[in-house]
Amino acid sequence: MISLQKYLKQSATYKVFSHFMLLFSDFLDTVGKIAQIGYHVLKCILRGEIDKKELITQCDRFGVSSLPITLSIVGMTSIIVASQVAHEMVKQGGSGFVGLLMTILIVREVGAIMSGFAITSMIGSSLASELATMRVTEQVDAIDVLGVDSIRYLFVPRVLSGMIMMPFVVIVASVVGVLLGAVTSDLFAGLTYRAYFDSAWLGLYMKDLGVCLLKAMTFGATISLISCTCGYFASGGAKGVGIATTKAVVWSFIAIVVWDMVFAILFFF
Amino acid sequence: MSIEVKNLIKTFDERTVINDISFKVNDGEILAIVGFSGSGKSTVLKLICGLIPYDSGEVLTSNGDIAMVFQYSALFDSLNVADNISFALKERKDLRKKYTPEQIKKIVSEKLELVGLKGIENKFPSELSGGMQKRVSFARAIVTNPDIILYDEPTAGLDPMSSTLIEDYIVSLKRELNAASIVVTHQMSTITRTADRVIMLYDGKIVFEGTPTELLKQDTPYTKQFVTASLEGPMQMQA
Repeated sequence: MISLQKYLKQSATYKVFSHFMLLFSDFLDTVGKIAQIGYHVLKCILRGEIDKKELITQCDRFGVSSLPITLSIVGMTSIIVASQVAHEMVKQGGSGFVGLLMTILIVREVGAIMSGFAITSMIGSSLASELATMRVTEQVDAIDVLGVDSIRYLFVPRVLSGMIMMPFVVIVASVVGVLLGAVTSDLFAGLTYRAYFDSAWLGLYMKDLGVCLLKAMTFGATISLISCTCGYFASGGAKGVGIATTKAVVWSFIAIVVWDMVFAILFFF
Repeated sequence: MSIEVKNLIKTFDERTVINDISFKVNDGEILAIVGFSGSGKSTVLKLICGLIPYDSGEVLTSNGDIAMVFQYSALFDSLNVADNISFALKERKDLRKKYTPEQIKKIVSEKLELVGLKGIENKFPSELSGGMQKRVSFARAIVTNPDIILYDEPTAGLDPMSSTLIEDYIVSLKRELNAASIVVTHQMSTITRTADRVIMLYDGKIVFEGTPTELLKQDTPYTKQFVTASLEGPMQMQA
Protein backbone atom coordinates (compact mmCIF):
# COMPACT_ATOMS: atom_id res chain seq x y z
CA MET A 1 0.00 0.00 0.00
CA ILE A 2 1.31 3.39 -0.96
CA SER A 3 2.15 5.57 2.06
CA LEU A 4 0.61 9.02 2.45
CA GLN A 5 4.06 10.68 2.26
CA LYS A 6 4.90 8.84 -0.97
CA TYR A 7 1.49 9.65 -2.39
CA LEU A 8 1.88 13.35 -1.57
CA LYS A 9 5.36 13.43 -3.15
CA GLN A 10 3.98 12.01 -6.38
CA SER A 11 1.09 14.47 -6.57
CA ALA A 12 1.18 17.29 -9.10
CA THR A 13 0.40 19.87 -6.40
CA TYR A 14 3.44 18.78 -4.40
CA LYS A 15 5.68 18.95 -7.47
CA VAL A 16 4.43 22.41 -8.41
CA PHE A 17 4.77 23.59 -4.81
CA SER A 18 8.30 22.20 -4.39
CA HIS A 19 9.35 23.71 -7.73
CA PHE A 20 7.94 27.06 -6.62
CA MET A 21 9.78 26.82 -3.28
CA LEU A 22 13.03 26.05 -5.11
CA LEU A 23 12.55 29.08 -7.34
CA PHE A 24 11.73 31.22 -4.32
CA SER A 25 14.82 30.05 -2.44
CA ASP A 26 16.98 30.74 -5.52
CA PHE A 27 15.36 34.20 -5.76
CA LEU A 28 16.20 34.99 -2.12
CA ASP A 29 19.73 33.61 -2.55
CA THR A 30 20.36 35.79 -5.62
CA VAL A 31 18.88 38.91 -3.99
CA GLY A 32 21.13 38.31 -0.98
CA LYS A 33 24.23 37.93 -3.16
CA ILE A 34 23.42 41.06 -5.19
CA ALA A 35 22.86 43.08 -1.99
CA GLN A 36 26.05 41.78 -0.38
CA ILE A 37 28.19 42.49 -3.45
CA GLY A 38 26.46 45.84 -4.04
CA TYR A 39 27.40 46.90 -0.51
CA HIS A 40 31.02 45.80 -1.03
CA VAL A 41 31.22 47.68 -4.35
CA LEU A 42 29.74 50.82 -2.76
CA LYS A 43 32.34 50.67 0.04
CA CYS A 44 35.16 50.36 -2.54
CA ILE A 45 33.80 53.31 -4.55
CA LEU A 46 33.47 55.49 -1.43
CA ARG A 47 37.05 54.58 -0.44
CA GLY A 48 38.20 55.62 -3.91
CA GLU A 49 39.52 52.16 -4.79
CA ILE A 50 38.95 52.61 -8.51
CA ASP A 51 41.19 51.36 -11.31
CA LYS A 52 40.99 54.35 -13.66
CA LYS A 53 42.48 52.57 -16.68
CA GLU A 54 40.02 49.70 -16.38
CA LEU A 55 37.17 52.18 -15.77
CA ILE A 56 37.90 53.91 -19.09
CA THR A 57 37.98 50.54 -20.89
CA GLN A 58 34.64 49.56 -19.36
CA CYS A 59 33.10 53.00 -20.11
CA ASP A 60 34.07 52.55 -23.75
CA ARG A 61 32.51 49.11 -23.78
CA PHE A 62 29.33 50.20 -21.96
CA GLY A 63 28.64 53.49 -23.64
CA VAL A 64 30.41 53.74 -26.96
CA SER A 65 30.28 50.23 -28.37
CA SER A 66 26.64 49.77 -27.33
CA LEU A 67 25.47 53.07 -28.84
CA PRO A 68 24.57 51.87 -32.39
CA ILE A 69 22.28 49.09 -31.17
CA THR A 70 20.73 51.29 -28.44
CA LEU A 71 20.05 54.13 -30.89
CA SER A 72 18.54 51.68 -33.36
CA ILE A 73 16.15 50.22 -30.78
CA VAL A 74 15.07 53.54 -29.26
CA GLY A 75 14.86 55.14 -32.71
CA MET A 76 12.72 52.37 -34.14
CA THR A 77 10.45 52.36 -31.09
CA SER A 78 9.95 56.11 -31.55
CA ILE A 79 9.11 55.61 -35.23
CA ILE A 80 6.57 52.90 -34.33
CA VAL A 81 4.91 55.04 -31.63
CA ALA A 82 4.88 58.20 -33.76
CA SER A 83 3.47 56.37 -36.76
CA GLN A 84 0.59 55.06 -34.62
CA VAL A 85 -0.10 58.24 -32.65
CA ALA A 86 0.60 61.19 -34.99
CA HIS A 87 -1.86 60.28 -37.72
CA GLU A 88 -4.71 59.64 -35.26
CA MET A 89 -4.05 62.79 -33.23
CA VAL A 90 -3.89 65.01 -36.29
CA LYS A 91 -7.16 63.48 -37.47
CA GLN A 92 -8.82 64.20 -34.10
CA GLY A 93 -7.57 67.80 -34.08
CA GLY A 94 -4.77 67.24 -31.60
CA SER A 95 -1.88 68.11 -33.91
CA GLY A 96 -0.67 70.67 -31.37
CA PHE A 97 0.04 67.89 -28.86
CA VAL A 98 1.93 65.31 -30.93
CA GLY A 99 5.35 66.75 -30.12
CA LEU A 100 4.45 67.12 -26.46
CA LEU A 101 3.21 63.53 -26.19
CA MET A 102 6.21 62.08 -28.00
CA THR A 103 8.72 64.07 -25.94
CA ILE A 104 7.13 63.17 -22.61
CA LEU A 105 6.89 59.52 -23.65
CA ILE A 106 10.48 59.31 -24.85
CA VAL A 107 12.14 61.37 -22.10
CA ARG A 108 10.16 59.85 -19.24
CA GLU A 109 9.92 56.25 -20.41
CA VAL A 110 10.96 54.99 -23.84
CA GLY A 111 14.49 56.43 -23.87
CA ALA A 112 15.50 54.96 -20.53
CA ILE A 113 13.62 51.67 -20.59
CA MET A 114 14.40 50.69 -24.20
CA SER A 115 18.06 51.69 -23.71
CA GLY A 116 18.02 49.55 -20.57
CA PHE A 117 16.73 46.56 -22.52
CA ALA A 118 19.24 47.12 -25.34
CA ILE A 119 22.16 47.49 -22.92
CA THR A 120 21.05 44.40 -20.99
CA SER A 121 20.95 42.32 -24.17
CA MET A 122 24.30 43.54 -25.41
CA ILE A 123 26.44 44.52 -22.42
CA GLY A 124 24.71 42.70 -19.54
CA SER A 125 24.92 39.34 -21.29
CA SER A 126 28.54 40.01 -22.24
CA LEU A 127 29.48 40.95 -18.66
CA ALA A 128 27.76 37.86 -17.26
CA SER A 129 29.36 35.45 -19.74
CA GLU A 130 32.78 37.06 -19.30
CA LEU A 131 32.75 36.70 -15.51
CA ALA A 132 31.13 33.27 -15.68
CA THR A 133 33.88 32.06 -18.02
CA MET A 134 36.49 33.52 -15.68
CA ARG A 135 34.82 31.66 -12.81
CA VAL A 136 34.63 28.25 -14.49
CA THR A 137 38.21 28.52 -15.79
CA GLU A 138 39.39 29.35 -12.23
CA GLN A 139 40.56 32.86 -13.20
CA VAL A 140 38.48 34.35 -10.40
CA ASP A 141 40.02 31.87 -7.95
CA ALA A 142 43.45 32.90 -9.26
CA ILE A 143 42.68 36.57 -8.50
CA ASP A 144 41.68 35.66 -4.94
CA VAL A 145 44.71 33.42 -4.36
CA LEU A 146 47.01 36.22 -5.57
CA GLY A 147 45.64 38.28 -2.68
CA VAL A 148 43.62 40.70 -4.82
CA ASP A 149 40.01 41.52 -3.92
CA SER A 150 38.23 39.98 -6.91
CA ILE A 151 35.03 41.94 -6.26
CA ARG A 152 36.89 45.24 -6.27
CA TYR A 153 38.90 44.31 -9.35
CA LEU A 154 36.00 42.93 -11.40
CA PHE A 155 32.92 44.77 -10.17
CA VAL A 156 33.93 48.35 -9.36
CA PRO A 157 34.95 49.48 -12.88
CA ARG A 158 32.01 47.66 -14.47
CA VAL A 159 29.32 48.97 -12.10
CA LEU A 160 30.77 52.48 -12.11
CA SER A 161 30.96 52.54 -15.91
CA GLY A 162 27.27 51.59 -16.00
CA MET A 163 26.41 54.48 -13.68
CA ILE A 164 28.47 56.96 -15.69
CA MET A 165 27.68 55.90 -19.24
CA MET A 166 24.01 54.97 -19.04
CA PRO A 167 22.83 58.64 -18.65
CA PHE A 168 24.97 59.53 -21.68
CA VAL A 169 23.42 56.70 -23.72
CA VAL A 170 19.88 57.59 -22.61
CA ILE A 171 20.34 61.31 -23.46
CA VAL A 172 21.65 60.56 -26.95
CA ALA A 173 18.97 57.89 -27.52
CA SER A 174 16.20 60.23 -26.33
CA VAL A 175 17.36 63.06 -28.61
CA VAL A 176 17.45 60.65 -31.56
CA GLY A 177 14.00 59.33 -30.54
CA VAL A 178 12.45 62.83 -30.41
CA LEU A 179 14.01 63.74 -33.79
CA LEU A 180 12.82 60.54 -35.45
CA GLY A 181 9.37 61.19 -33.92
CA ALA A 182 9.33 64.53 -35.75
CA VAL A 183 10.40 62.96 -39.04
CA THR A 184 7.79 60.18 -38.72
CA SER A 185 5.01 62.65 -37.80
CA ASP A 186 5.89 64.66 -40.88
CA LEU A 187 5.92 61.60 -43.16
CA PHE A 188 2.86 59.80 -41.75
CA ALA A 189 0.61 62.68 -40.71
CA GLY A 190 1.97 65.68 -42.60
CA LEU A 191 2.74 67.46 -39.33
CA THR A 192 5.29 70.22 -39.82
CA TYR A 193 8.52 70.20 -37.85
CA ARG A 194 7.64 73.60 -36.45
CA ALA A 195 4.28 72.37 -35.10
CA TYR A 196 5.98 69.30 -33.62
CA PHE A 197 8.79 71.18 -31.89
CA ASP A 198 6.56 74.07 -30.74
CA SER A 199 4.62 71.64 -28.56
CA ALA A 200 7.56 69.38 -27.79
CA TRP A 201 8.87 71.67 -25.05
CA LEU A 202 5.50 72.44 -23.46
CA GLY A 203 5.27 69.37 -21.26
CA LEU A 204 8.96 68.97 -20.52
CA TYR A 205 10.26 70.16 -17.15
CA MET A 206 13.65 70.07 -15.46
CA LYS A 207 12.18 67.42 -13.15
CA ASP A 208 11.65 65.13 -16.16
CA LEU A 209 15.26 65.49 -17.21
CA GLY A 210 16.49 65.00 -13.64
CA VAL A 211 14.39 61.88 -13.13
CA CYS A 212 15.47 60.58 -16.53
CA LEU A 213 19.15 60.92 -15.62
CA LEU A 214 18.67 59.43 -12.16
CA LYS A 215 16.74 56.55 -13.67
CA ALA A 216 19.47 55.99 -16.27
CA MET A 217 22.17 55.91 -13.57
CA THR A 218 20.13 53.42 -11.54
CA PHE A 219 19.48 51.23 -14.58
CA GLY A 220 23.16 51.28 -15.55
CA ALA A 221 24.36 50.30 -12.09
CA THR A 222 21.64 47.66 -11.76
CA ILE A 223 22.36 46.00 -15.11
CA SER A 224 26.11 45.84 -14.38
CA LEU A 225 25.67 44.67 -10.80
CA ILE A 226 23.14 41.95 -11.61
CA SER A 227 25.00 40.73 -14.70
CA CYS A 228 28.37 40.62 -12.96
CA THR A 229 26.89 38.90 -9.89
CA CYS A 230 25.20 36.21 -12.00
CA GLY A 231 28.49 35.59 -13.82
CA TYR A 232 30.60 35.72 -10.67
CA PHE A 233 28.64 32.91 -8.99
CA ALA A 234 28.42 30.70 -12.09
CA SER A 235 29.39 27.05 -11.79
CA GLY A 236 29.55 23.92 -13.89
CA GLY A 237 31.40 24.62 -17.14
CA ALA A 238 29.86 25.73 -20.44
CA LYS A 239 26.33 24.95 -19.25
CA GLY A 240 26.91 27.09 -16.16
CA VAL A 241 28.04 30.01 -18.33
CA GLY A 242 24.82 29.72 -20.35
CA ILE A 243 22.65 29.54 -17.25
CA ALA A 244 24.40 32.56 -15.69
CA THR A 245 23.98 34.62 -18.88
CA THR A 246 20.28 33.81 -19.20
CA LYS A 247 19.74 34.55 -15.53
CA ALA A 248 21.56 37.89 -15.84
CA VAL A 249 19.39 38.99 -18.78
CA VAL A 250 16.10 37.87 -17.19
CA TRP A 251 16.93 39.41 -13.82
CA SER A 252 18.10 42.67 -15.40
CA PHE A 253 14.92 42.96 -17.48
CA ILE A 254 12.78 42.41 -14.40
CA ALA A 255 14.87 44.82 -12.31
CA ILE A 256 14.55 47.54 -14.98
CA VAL A 257 10.76 47.23 -14.99
CA VAL A 258 10.60 47.19 -11.18
CA TRP A 259 12.86 50.26 -10.92
CA ASP A 260 10.78 52.01 -13.59
CA MET A 261 7.65 51.35 -11.57
CA VAL A 262 9.33 52.64 -8.40
CA PHE A 263 10.40 55.84 -10.21
CA ALA A 264 6.92 56.33 -11.65
CA ILE A 265 5.34 55.99 -8.21
CA LEU A 266 7.94 58.16 -6.47
CA PHE A 267 8.02 61.04 -8.96
CA PHE A 268 4.86 61.04 -11.05
CA PHE A 269 2.11 59.57 -8.89
CA MET B 1 56.37 24.33 10.22
CA SER B 2 54.92 26.02 7.20
CA ILE B 3 51.60 24.23 6.76
CA GLU B 4 49.77 22.26 9.43
CA VAL B 5 46.36 20.78 8.77
CA LYS B 6 44.50 19.48 11.81
CA ASN B 7 41.34 17.38 11.78
CA LEU B 8 39.99 19.04 8.66
CA ILE B 9 36.39 18.27 7.66
CA LYS B 10 34.53 19.54 4.62
CA THR B 11 31.06 18.52 3.54
CA PHE B 12 29.27 19.37 0.28
CA ASP B 13 25.51 18.72 0.18
CA GLU B 14 25.61 16.13 2.97
CA ARG B 15 28.59 14.35 1.33
CA THR B 16 31.76 14.45 3.42
CA VAL B 17 34.52 15.11 0.90
CA ILE B 18 37.30 15.64 3.45
CA ASN B 19 36.86 13.54 6.55
CA ASP B 20 39.10 14.43 9.49
CA ILE B 21 42.53 14.62 7.88
CA SER B 22 45.71 15.95 9.47
CA PHE B 23 49.22 16.46 8.07
CA LYS B 24 52.21 18.80 8.15
CA VAL B 25 54.53 20.18 5.49
CA ASN B 26 57.82 21.78 6.49
CA ASP B 27 59.77 24.54 4.78
CA GLY B 28 61.64 23.29 1.74
CA GLU B 29 59.59 20.11 1.63
CA ILE B 30 57.31 18.82 -1.12
CA LEU B 31 54.30 16.76 -0.14
CA ALA B 32 52.44 14.92 -2.88
CA ILE B 33 48.74 14.28 -2.37
CA VAL B 34 47.65 11.37 -4.51
CA GLY B 35 44.47 9.43 -5.04
CA PHE B 36 41.89 8.63 -7.66
CA SER B 37 39.71 11.32 -9.20
CA GLY B 38 37.07 12.61 -6.81
CA SER B 39 39.04 11.62 -3.70
CA GLY B 40 39.17 15.23 -2.48
CA LYS B 41 42.76 16.14 -3.44
CA SER B 42 42.02 19.49 -5.08
CA THR B 43 39.54 20.33 -2.32
CA VAL B 44 42.38 20.09 0.22
CA LEU B 45 44.34 22.73 -1.72
CA LYS B 46 41.33 25.04 -1.96
CA LEU B 47 40.72 24.67 1.79
CA ILE B 48 44.37 25.51 2.55
CA CYS B 49 44.44 28.66 0.42
CA GLY B 50 41.02 29.77 1.66
CA LEU B 51 39.10 29.54 -1.61
CA ILE B 52 36.46 27.47 0.16
CA PRO B 53 35.69 27.48 3.88
CA TYR B 54 36.05 24.30 5.92
CA ASP B 55 33.40 22.99 8.30
CA SER B 56 35.74 22.16 11.17
CA GLY B 57 39.41 21.63 11.97
CA GLU B 58 42.36 23.96 11.56
CA VAL B 59 44.71 25.09 8.81
CA LEU B 60 47.82 26.74 10.24
CA THR B 61 50.21 28.41 7.83
CA SER B 62 53.26 30.62 8.24
CA ASN B 63 52.66 34.35 7.78
CA GLY B 64 54.01 34.66 4.22
CA ASP B 65 52.17 34.43 0.93
CA ILE B 66 50.42 31.35 -0.38
CA ALA B 67 50.62 30.75 -4.13
CA MET B 68 48.70 28.27 -6.21
CA VAL B 69 49.33 26.85 -9.66
CA PHE B 70 46.00 25.80 -11.12
CA GLN B 71 45.31 22.64 -13.10
CA TYR B 72 44.48 24.51 -16.32
CA SER B 73 46.87 27.40 -15.59
CA ALA B 74 43.99 29.90 -15.03
CA LEU B 75 45.90 32.68 -16.78
CA PHE B 76 43.91 35.88 -17.34
CA ASP B 77 43.19 35.60 -21.05
CA SER B 78 42.55 39.32 -21.52
CA LEU B 79 46.02 40.21 -20.19
CA ASN B 80 49.39 39.55 -21.79
CA VAL B 81 52.08 37.46 -20.11
CA ALA B 82 53.77 40.45 -18.44
CA ASP B 83 50.46 41.72 -17.00
CA ASN B 84 49.56 38.21 -15.86
CA ILE B 85 52.82 37.81 -13.96
CA SER B 86 52.79 41.32 -12.49
CA PHE B 87 49.09 41.17 -11.59
CA ALA B 88 49.63 40.81 -7.82
CA LEU B 89 52.32 43.53 -7.80
CA LYS B 90 49.99 46.00 -9.53
CA GLU B 91 46.66 45.12 -7.94
CA ARG B 92 47.37 43.93 -4.42
CA LYS B 93 46.69 46.59 -1.80
CA ASP B 94 49.95 46.09 0.12
CA LEU B 95 52.12 45.89 -3.02
CA ARG B 96 50.46 48.41 -5.33
CA LYS B 97 52.71 51.33 -4.47
CA LYS B 98 55.78 49.34 -3.52
CA TYR B 99 57.26 48.90 -7.00
CA THR B 100 57.94 51.29 -9.85
CA PRO B 101 57.02 50.21 -13.42
CA GLU B 102 60.75 49.63 -14.13
CA GLN B 103 61.10 47.39 -11.07
CA ILE B 104 57.99 45.45 -12.07
CA LYS B 105 59.38 44.98 -15.57
CA LYS B 106 62.63 43.64 -14.10
CA ILE B 107 60.83 41.25 -11.74
CA VAL B 108 58.67 39.92 -14.60
CA SER B 109 61.73 39.36 -16.73
CA GLU B 110 63.53 37.56 -13.85
CA LYS B 111 60.58 35.27 -13.15
CA LEU B 112 60.18 34.44 -16.83
CA GLU B 113 63.87 33.60 -17.02
CA LEU B 114 63.47 31.35 -13.98
CA VAL B 115 60.89 29.25 -15.84
CA GLY B 116 62.87 29.34 -19.08
CA LEU B 117 60.61 31.64 -21.06
CA LYS B 118 62.58 34.79 -21.70
CA GLY B 119 61.17 37.41 -24.07
CA ILE B 120 57.50 36.40 -24.26
CA GLU B 121 56.22 39.33 -22.15
CA ASN B 122 53.92 40.71 -24.85
CA LYS B 123 52.33 37.43 -25.90
CA PHE B 124 48.79 36.54 -24.84
CA PRO B 125 47.94 33.19 -23.17
CA SER B 126 46.07 32.02 -26.29
CA GLU B 127 49.34 32.28 -28.26
CA LEU B 128 51.15 29.86 -25.92
CA SER B 129 51.25 26.06 -25.77
CA GLY B 130 49.82 24.20 -22.74
CA GLY B 131 53.29 23.66 -21.27
CA MET B 132 54.25 27.31 -21.75
CA GLN B 133 50.98 28.45 -20.15
CA LYS B 134 51.73 26.24 -17.18
CA ARG B 135 55.22 27.75 -16.84
CA VAL B 136 53.80 31.28 -17.05
CA SER B 137 51.37 30.36 -14.30
CA PHE B 138 54.41 29.20 -12.24
CA ALA B 139 56.03 32.59 -12.83
CA ARG B 140 52.82 34.37 -11.80
CA ALA B 141 52.54 32.25 -8.65
CA ILE B 142 56.11 32.91 -7.48
CA VAL B 143 56.16 36.64 -8.25
CA THR B 144 55.71 37.50 -4.56
CA ASN B 145 58.27 34.89 -3.43
CA PRO B 146 55.69 32.84 -1.52
CA ASP B 147 56.42 30.64 1.49
CA ILE B 148 53.85 28.08 0.40
CA ILE B 149 53.21 26.85 -3.15
CA LEU B 150 50.26 24.65 -3.99
CA TYR B 151 50.24 22.79 -7.32
CA ASP B 152 46.94 21.38 -8.59
CA GLU B 153 47.79 18.58 -11.05
CA PRO B 154 50.69 20.54 -12.58
CA THR B 155 51.50 17.93 -15.24
CA ALA B 156 47.97 16.92 -16.22
CA GLY B 157 47.42 16.99 -19.97
CA LEU B 158 51.07 17.64 -20.84
CA ASP B 159 53.33 15.51 -23.03
CA PRO B 160 56.06 13.49 -21.22
CA MET B 161 58.84 15.98 -22.01
CA SER B 162 56.81 19.00 -20.86
CA SER B 163 55.87 17.04 -17.74
CA THR B 164 59.54 16.40 -16.98
CA LEU B 165 60.31 20.07 -17.48
CA ILE B 166 57.51 21.10 -15.11
CA GLU B 167 58.65 18.54 -12.52
CA ASP B 168 62.18 19.97 -12.69
CA TYR B 169 60.81 23.48 -12.15
CA ILE B 170 58.84 22.33 -9.10
CA VAL B 171 62.05 20.98 -7.57
CA SER B 172 64.13 24.01 -8.55
CA LEU B 173 61.52 26.43 -7.17
CA LYS B 174 61.56 24.53 -3.89
CA ARG B 175 65.32 24.99 -3.71
CA GLU B 176 65.18 28.61 -4.86
CA LEU B 177 62.48 29.77 -2.44
CA ASN B 178 62.73 27.13 0.31
CA ALA B 179 58.96 27.03 0.13
CA ALA B 180 56.67 24.39 1.56
CA SER B 181 54.97 22.82 -1.42
CA ILE B 182 51.99 20.54 -1.93
CA VAL B 183 51.60 18.81 -5.28
CA VAL B 184 48.26 17.22 -6.07
CA THR B 185 48.78 14.62 -8.74
CA HIS B 186 48.04 11.08 -9.85
CA GLN B 187 50.99 10.88 -12.20
CA MET B 188 53.67 8.49 -10.94
CA SER B 189 56.55 10.38 -12.59
CA THR B 190 55.54 13.59 -10.81
CA ILE B 191 55.41 11.77 -7.47
CA THR B 192 58.78 10.07 -7.81
CA ARG B 193 60.61 13.05 -9.32
CA THR B 194 59.32 15.80 -7.04
CA ALA B 195 57.91 14.55 -3.74
CA ASP B 196 59.69 14.11 -0.42
CA ARG B 197 56.61 12.58 1.16
CA VAL B 198 53.30 11.25 -0.13
CA ILE B 199 49.82 10.98 1.33
CA MET B 200 47.05 9.07 -0.39
CA LEU B 201 43.43 10.08 -0.05
CA TYR B 202 40.45 7.85 -0.49
CA ASP B 203 36.89 8.72 0.42
CA GLY B 204 38.10 11.91 2.13
CA LYS B 205 40.52 10.07 4.44
CA ILE B 206 44.29 9.51 4.44
CA VAL B 207 44.84 5.83 3.67
CA PHE B 208 48.62 5.99 3.20
CA GLU B 209 51.42 8.26 4.38
CA GLY B 210 55.08 7.71 3.51
CA THR B 211 57.88 8.35 1.05
CA PRO B 212 57.63 7.79 -2.73
CA THR B 213 59.85 4.71 -2.28
CA GLU B 214 57.46 3.28 0.31
CA LEU B 215 54.55 3.97 -2.06
CA LEU B 216 56.28 2.06 -4.84
CA LYS B 217 56.89 -0.95 -2.52
CA GLN B 218 53.12 -1.57 -2.64
CA ASP B 219 53.05 -2.82 0.95
CA THR B 220 49.39 -1.98 1.53
CA PRO B 221 46.30 -2.88 -0.54
CA TYR B 222 45.81 0.85 -1.24
CA THR B 223 49.32 1.50 -2.53
CA LYS B 224 49.25 -1.74 -4.54
CA GLN B 225 46.00 -0.79 -6.22
CA PHE B 226 47.16 2.77 -6.91
CA VAL B 227 50.57 1.89 -8.32
CA THR B 228 49.25 -0.97 -10.46
CA ALA B 229 46.23 1.13 -11.46
CA SER B 230 44.06 -1.90 -10.78
CA LEU B 231 40.29 -1.88 -10.63
CA GLU B 232 40.46 -4.65 -8.01
CA GLY B 233 41.14 -3.51 -4.46
CA PRO B 234 39.78 -1.53 -1.53
CA MET B 235 39.30 1.69 -3.54
CA GLN B 236 36.19 1.76 -5.66
CA MET B 237 35.74 4.32 -8.42
CA GLN B 238 32.55 6.31 -8.18
CA ALA B 239 30.01 5.48 -10.88
